[in-house]
Amino acid sequence: QVSELVQFLLVKDQKKIPIKRADMLKSVIREYRDTYSEIVNKAAKTLQEVFGLQMVEIDTKRHIYILINNLRRAESEHLCKDKEKAKMGLLMVILSFIFMKGNSVKDSAVWEFLHRLRVYPGKHHKVFGDVRKLVTEEFVRQKYLEITPIPLTDPPEFKYQWGPRAAKETSKKDVLNFVAKIQGKNPTFWTSQYSQAEATP
Amino acid sequence: ENREDMLNSKSNRLTEALEEANRLFDGVCRAREAALDAQFLVLASNIGKEKANELHSEMSAFDSAAFAEDLLTFMGINRTEIEDSDDSEDVPGGFLPSNAWQKMGEEALKYFRRAPTFHYMMGSFKSDPPVPKQRIERQKRANRGKAERAMPAQLKKMEESHQETTEKEVERILGILQTHFENDPDTPISFFDFVIDPNSFARTVENMFHVSFLIRDGLAKIKLDEDELPVIEPMRPSTRGEDDVRAATRNQVVLSLDQKEWK
Repeated sequence: QVSELVQFLLVKDQKKIPIKRADMLKSVIREYRDTYSEIVNKAAKTLQEVFGLQMVEIDTKRHIYILINNLRRAESEHLCKDKEKAKMGLLMVILSFIFMKGNSVKDSAVWEFLHRLRVYPGKHHKVFGDVRKLVTEEFVRQKYLEITPIPLTDPPEFKYQWGPRAAKETSKKDVLNFVAKIQGKNPTFWTSQYSQAEATP
Repeated sequence: ENREDMLNSKSNRLTEALEEANRLFDGVCRAREAALDAQFLVLASNIGKEKANELHSEMSAFDSAAFAEDLLTFMGINRTEIEDSDDSEDVPGGFLPSNAWQKMGEEALKYFRRAPTFHYMMGSFKSDPPVPKQRIERQKRANRGKAERAMPAQLKKMEESHQETTEKEVERILGILQTHFENDPDTPISFFDFVIDPNSFARTVENMFHVSFLIRDGLAKIKLDEDELPVIEPMRPSTRGEDDVRAATRNQVVLSLDQKEWK
């Protein structure tokens, strides 16, 4: 039962869409509902010890989980498909922009920034295709980004923030280091962001 | 309106607007105006909050323009060549290589603890015995799948043939009728001559059944001749005026024929 659940989780994680407990119960555990928590714990342990992956509950009310890597990525490891790499690049750019701008940015600001990088919401992108869809749907579904409407705006505006997966898979410190590397500066250059980064584990 | 203007930390427009609203409120004596004033206050406080937010991030001034330029540099932008295409009007000179975003991604991945996506590998880590087993299983599943598919396909074929025979028969009969008529265009064919099969009553009934389809679809028509005997002739599409069609559909005829009569 445990190994079935482990396989199930690994396959479900391919698209990086969070896994609901209901799906786990339906597909794998079925008759064993009573021992559910024991099975899940054992599965999490297997994932941890065999694969080095951590099962994290990002929604304790609705019991939704994601898998993240417990190990830092080794320098020479590049086992990703090109498309995936490119998407992560775009994501990192957006996440760093959001963080450096105070953790919450208006949608217009995000797209204006991406404009500078030749990424346009209305135009088909050579690498990303429908960028607007990628950012506002895929990244949100994967819980990397959180997009919420700003009240009392007409026409409606939205604010972009980090999603729970982003918070777990990376950190403010990592992102600040990324920005620092790109700009060739010391992370302490941005004092407010630096102190935030140091404060968050 | 003027939202951006008010947001500008260097402007006092927000304060001015608030002061004006204060002054105006003195002249308010109706509830509606007070409601407007309240609405304005909400907007103003929202703007005030945004302004305060901007103030905070300006403390450690983050220059997004410079960041964008640095990102482009990292992605390997080629600034020496200037694009001549039409859509680069608002974009500064230089273009990104095709692997620009992959390069970005490679760097970004270093900062993520992303679980590698899991895919079944074709081969097995174990030694030979398990591998054939997998193949056999897969084959069995494949075979079963095919067998199942074969069964429904067969059944489907039978069903189709039932329907098809009727249609085919109808078409065949239409063909015969048309051929006869072509050979002898002025003589309508006696209905009974057409449908009766001297050797088989069942066949006769079947023929009548098929002819009724032709009539229903307006491909043939039956009328009574001088002797009050029914005759049948194909309808030519050119002669089928609207009146004809209407007339044809209005009449229903019931013919009864039993074995004795047939004989």
